[in-house]
Amino acid sequence: MTVTARDVMDTVFFTLRPGMSVAEAVKIFKLASEEQKSKSFGLLVTNDHSELVGMVSMFDILLLMRPKHIHIWGEMNDMDVGGFLDETCRRAKIVRVEDIMTTDLTSITPDTQLLFIVDIMIRKHMRRIPVLEDGKLVGIVYISKVFYYLMERSGCETT
Amino acid sequence: MPIIDKKSVLSGLKVRDAMRRIATHLHKQASINEAAKLLIKFRINSLLIVDANDEVIGVVSKTNIMGAYYAGIPIETPLEAIMMPSPVLCSPEDTLESALDLMRTHKVHRVFVTGDDPKQASGVLAYYDICGLLYRYCHRCERNVARPRASLSDSSMADALRVHEVMTPSVFFNRKDESIMTIMEGLEAGNVGAVLILSREGQPVGVVSKTDLLMAYKRGISPEDPAKSIMNSPVRSCDYDDPLVLVIREMVFADVQRLFIHRETPANIVGVLSLSDAARIRSGSCRACLSSRIEVLDGP
Repeated sequence: MTVTARDVMDTVFFTLRPGMSVAEAVKIFKLASEEQKSKSFGLLVTNDHSELVGMVSMFDILLLMRPKHIHIWGEMNDMDVGGFLDETCRRAKIVRVEDIMTTDLTSITPDTQLLFIVDIMIRKHMRRIPVLEDGKLVGIVYISKVFYYLMERSGCETT
Repeated sequence: MPIIDKKSVLSGLKVRDAMRRIATHLHKQASINEAAKLLIKFRINSLLIVDANDEVIGVVSKTNIMGAYYAGIPIETPLEAIMMPSPVLCSPEDTLESALDLMRTHKVHRVFVTGDDPKQASGVLAYYDICGLLYRYCHRCERNVARPRASLSDSSMADALRVHEVMTPSVFFNRKDESIMTIMEGLEAGNVGAVLILSREGQPVGVVSKTDLLMAYKRGISPEDPAKSIMNSPVRSCDYDDPLVLVIREMVFADVQRLFIHRETPANIVGVLSLSDAARIRSGSCRACLSSRIEVLDGP
């Protein structure tokens, strides 16, 4: 039996739009985490035609929030950090998803075999891979799903 | 015969002690759009351009991209068309003093650091990285007059310094109805990173930085549009008599490289303070190393 992306992909997911502000994107992250009952570490970005145009991870957002010179000022113990969050949030409102998203993406099709998916995840350090069919985003394969799928299979075989 | 001791705070320190071990780079065929995106995303001022063998062949800064926007070059144009050839390179084993000399001679605020292969880059060293190192060094110095003493609080030295002693007492400004084109001309002529925007009545109403111009270019905004369409409001400013430490705090939090300074009322902007000016002044300002204070560089 050949197991493919179709068997392990999630077909219900939240996506972002390139023109959204980062602040709006954060709201979708929160919504996605609530709806999917697990924390979202990254979301895919699609255009109006459901075509995949990018991906935004929590890392990309944190990168934007981190004060650029914070390492320099590490010893400024005479500073108080009140007001810091307001400032980073201001930044999140002007910058758009398209400014920080990763566009160099690896995708698979619903027919990509499971072990190829594992290989891609390991080689490219990817936690989630978009599944495209005729250029449209139809699903996402998460590393946890692949992991537990494989673990269950191997568990069955040893007993 | 007297021996002149030329030892300074930076003596013995090498580029590798202050550099950032990441040098963002793009291939020469990548578009201006991609470069603009990386500059916004990583909040950096320039990135390296490499060829097919990953060898460094040029550098593209926010200023170069602003120039392309000004010239009406399509944003999908490859970077090799606008890059500046031969970026200033140094080795991680070079001394910080020689790196500072390089910055002075070439009139740049950052140099790229080569890796094991002298044609490849392993990191970047910016002027404010050196200021930061100097700051930390002084903070630990036993002779630092800002050290806690029975009668003095930790910040007493910093409190003694006021913004107006350090700021640049001149400001570049434009009117809000002037075109983005005019703003770019002003930034280029003044060699500054941001310009103050005034209302018709002469009140400060916003700021346009090179980053704002990059975003405008990316969003397809016409350079003929007025400054008010892309400016950031309100103007962040501090008072002329504010302690320097407060102003540094503002800049670190707002993540801006400069802050405008007003006198008496926020409407009366009288100067501008850059982060590296602030760091330089707070460092090496005690007698222990007064003579070794690093020099001010020209420009933003």
